[in-house]
Amino acid sequence: MEISEKEVLRYLGFRQHTPDENTLRFICAVESALQTEIRPKSIYGEFPLAFLSNREVKIGDKVFESEKLRRHLNGCERILVFAATLGAGADSLLRRYSATDRAKAAVAQAVLAAATESYCDEVCAEIAKKENKNGWYLRPRFSPGYGDMALTAQRDLFSLLEITKRTGIVLTQSCLMLPTKSVTAFIGLTRDAQRCDKRGCALCDNTDCAYRKEEENGIS
Amino acid sequence: MGFRERFGKEMLLFDGAMGTQLQARGLAAGELPEIWNVTHPEVIREIQKAYVDAGCDILKTNTFGANALKFVGTGYTVPQLVRAGVENARAAANTVDREVLVALDMGPTGKLLKPYGELEFCKAYELYKEQVRAGADGADLVLIETMGDLYEIKAAVLAAKENCDLPVVVTMIFDTQGKLLTGADIETAVVTLESFGVDALGFNCGLGPKQMLPFVEKALEVSSTPIVVNPNAGLPVCVDGVTSYNVTPTEFTEDLLKIANTKGVWAVGGCCGTSPAHLQAAAVCKSVAPQSVKQKDFTAVTSYGKTVTFGEKPVLIGERINPTGKKRLKAALVSGDEAYILAEAAAQIDAGAHILDVNVGLPEIDEPAVLERTVQSLQGITDLPLQIDTSDTDAMERALRIYNGKPLINSVNGKKESMEAVFPLAKKYGGAVVCLTLDENGIPETAQGRIQIAERILKTAASYGIEKKNLIFDTLAMTISTGVQNANITLKALHYIRNTLGAHTVLGVSNISFGLPKRDHINAAFFTLAMENGLSAGIINPKSEAMMNAYYAFCALKGLDANFEAYIQNATDSAAPTAAATGDLQSAVEKGLKAEASARTKELLQTAAPLDIINTQLIPALDRVGQGFEQGTIFLPQLLMSADAAKAAFDEIKAVLQETGTPDTEKHAHKIVLATVKGDIHDIGKNIVKVLLENYGFAVLDLGKDVDPELILETARREQVKLVGLSALMTTTVVNMEKTIALLHREYPECRVMVGGAVLTQDYADRIGADFYSKDAMGTVRYAEKFFAE
Repeated sequence: MEISEKEVLRYLGFRQHTPDENTLRFICAVESALQTEIRPKSIYGEFPLAFLSNREVKIGDKVFESEKLRRHLNGCERILVFAATLGAGADSLLRRYSATDRAKAAVAQAVLAAATESYCDEVCAEIAKKENKNGWYLRPRFSPGYGDMALTAQRDLFSLLEITKRTGIVLTQSCLMLPTKSVTAFIGLTRDAQRCDKRGCALCDNTDCAYRKEEENGIS
Repeated sequence: MGFRERFGKEMLLFDGAMGTQLQARGLAAGELPEIWNVTHPEVIREIQKAYVDAGCDILKTNTFGANALKFVGTGYTVPQLVRAGVENARAAANTVDREVLVALDMGPTGKLLKPYGELEFCKAYELYKEQVRAGADGADLVLIETMGDLYEIKAAVLAAKENCDLPVVVTMIFDTQGKLLTGADIETAVVTLESFGVDALGFNCGLGPKQMLPFVEKALEVSSTPIVVNPNAGLPVCVDGVTSYNVTPTEFTEDLLKIANTKGVWAVGGCCGTSPAHLQAAAVCKSVAPQSVKQKDFTAVTSYGKTVTFGEKPVLIGERINPTGKKRLKAALVSGDEAYILAEAAAQIDAGAHILDVNVGLPEIDEPAVLERTVQSLQGITDLPLQIDTSDTDAMERALRIYNGKPLINSVNGKKESMEAVFPLAKKYGGAVVCLTLDENGIPETAQGRIQIAERILKTAASYGIEKKNLIFDTLAMTISTGVQNANITLKALHYIRNTLGAHTVLGVSNISFGLPKRDHINAAFFTLAMENGLSAGIINPKSEAMMNAYYAFCALKGLDANFEAYIQNATDSAAPTAAATGDLQSAVEKGLKAEASARTKELLQTAAPLDIINTQLIPALDRVGQGFEQGTIFLPQLLMSADAAKAAFDEIKAVLQETGTPDTEKHAHKIVLATVKGDIHDIGKNIVKVLLENYGFAVLDLGKDVDPELILETARREQVKLVGLSALMTTTVVNMEKTIALLHREYPECRVMVGGAVLTQDYADRIGADFYSKDAMGTVRYAEKFFAE
């Protein structure tokens, strides 16, 4: 899998700085160790979509409460439920590093965070390619825990698809996902190509976050 | 008749899907199908009756997900649903004159087990036990199906075997790559399940019969156990939120018939998407006569994801987790310093060990508890199989019970008492057993004597149903300093056992040189001799260059290393310069060079006082690093590498302080509790703060992530800590930060709380009642310094 070095460095807090030779080598070594442990899996399915109010969205037979999600899906006529994970092996190596080598653990966290995004983007690009042909465009992913959408929405999201069976992702009591490098999301589909390029950090209200990307994705 | 009588004599036909059939009859997505056992028994019976009429021999009860975790708050109990499930299947089975069997069906819990997830192994066992107790009466076999995690399978199999006498069949769900969800390949799954003593194993769900056929063949390359295969009606297709399967009964049967005709397959059937029509067509499989499974004769142990096979190349068993003669490890075991043990494991993994020996035997600790905990932690950080090394039977049983895979068991010996204690455990939990060739009369002084003991052990093991392939003989390396023929005797016995008796062998290699100088020289030469004489596995120190060189050279010489890849890799690694060996301790710390920092410290300790080294070398270096981090000239990886290098230096200093009995400075350090709040698992920020605080001499009690407010309060109070740091990264978890602050302020008013995290701002922190908000990690250090100065 292609992991963006730029993203790894951003997660590690380098921002516009370039790391020295030694650090770069270190990051590369951790990345190649992780590459052999990453076994990505994903699943998605399409569900009937209905807007019940300005804060309620019905997806399949479940109602999700979130003004942000409702607004995010404005203009969408179809919706996909999506889940992806890097697998349990990456977690295992991460646990080893965490117990034995803090520098490797931090770099591994950053590499895996970037890898998770890359993988999700890869899968979504595939879906987009298919959908674009028929004149449909993908909105950016929107996940439980974003904005005003409670993490507990994960329970309903998980009941829609065979996520655990097909990807191995499970929910903990507090609605966190394991393996830790996992993503679930709603992806709206619209006929309107224009409104689909605002993504990632540009969607978030927390404008002074240390990890915020430069405004590289157009509309903000 | 019954399952055991018919299995292998005729091809048995399992029934098909229940879930998809129920959905077609109105079961809503997300509704628990097992409830229909009670609310709609007639529907369940009608579906199962259709399968009986289609010609099926075995009905799966509608109890797949009937575990207590899923039924909290539904008003139904597991025993109630399981009993109803068995009764329904039995009723459908009894509608015809021929014998139709009932399989008590159990699926995954839906949770991940510790240490990978949050469910305790014993809790998973209890969930399955409840199902077995409720459903065994009236069932003919237990079917554990759609399993994706070997650890969970172990809990289910143990629960079945300990709570009923029914045959146990396990089928697993593999992905298109032939892997389980937890990463195990087919070989690992087969070897592990055989060690659990299941009556049959195989495949179900996930794939159609076409995709499963090659996997069935692969399983039969290693399996001595009969195979059961229940595929889906092809791969799932999801349209408009509805999953469907498109393979027709005719296509399904065509491929299933190929599977049924594979030597070693004794039962077939269907899973998701298959209907009575599929099974009716598939009933032609019943005319296939099952063929016996070829018994495989290879020796292997496994972890949750990996198999190590004996006999191909010598296997390296890392010996370092054993307190004998190791002061630092002893201290770590007594004080419960798990990090040290895990670091020792990681170093051996990096050095190239294939299996890790785990011995925690010390008189002053509770060995059963510590061994169990250590095995548990080790399998959280490595996929190397473990060798459970203890002479305490209790400790052995507890470790074997929670071991995730098929372990090496170290050890049994020729004493009657030893065999009576160890063999039943090995049989019950599975494993390959290291057999020491000694008995009531001690260690024979002749090779012949040791061989005779080996033969006796072999015979006794057989009476417990333990095969030769699961015994690995240790002909005991005794130091040559007490007898010049000792190596010869050991090697002669070893050679005979490997080459004439045909069993595998193992040696604790390093014992050979005890009492002699430059032990590595003797050890490496003896290791080579032993490998040449048929040593299957050496228990060695993989961090010893001499031993690893001997190993790689041996493999290269014996044609075991194609293109000399491993040899060359090892040669290149050991030739790599160990960084610039010119700098002083301060620059080693600043550059983050661990080995260098520890070497420089050792040198300095010859001349300087330990506390002086801390004050004049380490603290200034760490301060410069901290300032660099604050100013944005040093970044996270470098900060942490420096911290790790400093830690290596501190470890050297601590060792000296321990020896000289000087009180540890850490005891006087100011204490701070850190935690990521409940519901949040983002701990990078918290970990950075921890590192910086430690660099500046604070003692940090790190409670980790997703921490309950009560635990934070309890720890702060117990340890009399006046400063607590909380981190949260998600807007949705700041609520829990607020709760924690309120609890601390109410119950422990003299305690101050500082907070940080990407979503927080000064304003936000004020609103949730924090005493201090830090926008970056160094801010925390400055606040802590000020706080304790006051």
